[in-house]
Amino acid sequence: MTKKPVEAKGICKRYKSFLESSTTVLQNISLDIEEGEIFGLLGPNGSGKTTLISIFSTLIYPEQGSLFILGMDARRDNGEIRKVINISTAKPNFPWSLTVQENLRHYGMLYGLYGSALSRTVGDQIDAFELGDFRDTKFENLSTGLKQRLSLAKAMLNHPRLLFLDEPTTGLDPDISIKTRMLIKRIHQEQNISVVLSTHYMPEAEMLCDRIAFLRKGQIVALDTPRNLKKHLGLGEKVVVSYEGPADIRALESMPGVLGVKAEKGRLEIMIDRNEDSLDRIIKLFCNARILDITIKEPDLEDVFLELAR
Amino acid sequence: MNWQGELNKYLASAYKNWITSKRNIFTLFELFFWPMISLLSIGLLTRFLKVEGSMVSFLLVGAIALTILQVAQIDVAYVLLFDMWSKSIKNTFIAPIHSYHLVFGATLFGILRGSVVFFILAIVSRYLFGFDFQEGGLLPVLIFLAGVFATAAVIGIIVCISILTFGQKADVAAWSLSGMILLVSGIYYPVEVLPPLLQTLARAIPLTYFLEYYRSVFIPGPHHLAIGAFLAVFYLVLGLILFDRAIERARRTGILLRLSE
Repeated sequence: MTKKPVEAKGICKRYKSFLESSTTVLQNISLDIEEGEIFGLLGPNGSGKTTLISIFSTLIYPEQGSLFILGMDARRDNGEIRKVINISTAKPNFPWSLTVQENLRHYGMLYGLYGSALSRTVGDQIDAFELGDFRDTKFENLSTGLKQRLSLAKAMLNHPRLLFLDEPTTGLDPDISIKTRMLIKRIHQEQNISVVLSTHYMPEAEMLCDRIAFLRKGQIVALDTPRNLKKHLGLGEKVVVSYEGPADIRALESMPGVLGVKAEKGRLEIMIDRNEDSLDRIIKLFCNARILDITIKEPDLEDVFLELAR
Repeated sequence: MNWQGELNKYLASAYKNWITSKRNIFTLFELFFWPMISLLSIGLLTRFLKVEGSMVSFLLVGAIALTILQVAQIDVAYVLLFDMWSKSIKNTFIAPIHSYHLVFGATLFGILRGSVVFFILAIVSRYLFGFDFQEGGLLPVLIFLAGVFATAAVIGIIVCISILTFGQKADVAAWSLSGMILLVSGIYYPVEVLPPLLQTLARAIPLTYFLEYYRSVFIPGPHHLAIGAFLAVFYLVLGLILFDRAIERARRTGILLRLSE
């Protein structure tokens, strides 16, 4: 029987500090992650994404709840778990004065690699993440994008079965972000590993994730595939009509299959449920007007995010 | 995992400390400048005060012990200090390692650097102040150094525990704990001159016994080396247990994340 990468039930986390009141960061988080999927954790800043990913990666412990990683108890078997997982984080940091190669070598040693296997693995990761030209560059002299690539290379040193990526493209230029996403996709496809990815970039989640959990104030407010999330939240397609002449907006609002209408002068944004026969009826409503332009846009996760973050 | 892989986990921190040290110009200050300042100032003071031969050895042994203790203990503390300063601590603790992996490699490197410093200071003190460290043979020197390095490892572990418990503010412990040792372990004076409470504290520090043992080679007198050796081993084992507990606590409190931000 294959063991699920993550099985979490009732995870709670509070941060307590000396002489200060405690802060609840996560409340009653329960979710399962399936083998081989890319699972997204989405939510606004401060929603608990980093804390949850840190708990899943055994960096910190939950206060309550049960957590099994690849079938192992996260508290009891954390040493065994750490052998088969790894993490890459936003704004990655490594010892400054070590070069790319030395950093990978150092962390490879911490994973028990030695001799020719260590040299080969370090070399393979340098090649895989196109760091060859920067092999002897100190970490402090790398650009942000190269630091992120080094972080991903470090995360692959132990050939993890489960990879955690905590906001891997935060702070990167758009072109570097796209490259990083392609890299993540390639790693996932080539190595067939399960990935848990936290992000607040909706296109990233839409592009990479098989399923997504939305977090708000430390709780999961929705969990499903991107497609189902859009469907279940009633976020239908958006029809944008620019027109001249009369249009009966009230009739439009009460029309079956119309989920919402936003009217501006000469322009309407109409959310519709495509399952209904609504598009045809909408167009008929403009029979006394002149349609200048009409576009139909599928809702994206940005819309879902805005809906859920309210 | 076979023994070579396990050995490399131990050596990882020595590797990191070695690379970091060799790229840092201030390493030369740690290895040569401050040790020489310490030795020369004490040596010249003995000349000024016209201190007799046995007392010269008493003071120089203390000066050299303190110097190599500081060099070796900071290397053990560096194992977390470098990670804390570079905010990379979570990369270390996501790996399948224990406290003893970190401490062993760092102590090994500390012993290497401390030995280099000792060698230099032994030569200088012989030629400038006529003090021969090998007067009692090689064995007492090795026992003395083992005691200094064991005490250094314990202090380094305490610094690491402090960092994981109190966060960044605790790095001051890296430099202040050896000052405490200077005050109470009989570096420049016998512990008998201390107030009773501080004498009790001195008797709880392994270095006190190793200093008494090594000085007994030059100034015959009683020593309790076995107690010092027992304390050193006891503190090392206890320190490693507490270090692992501190790591677990840091995972509970989330300080591991805060140290990486």
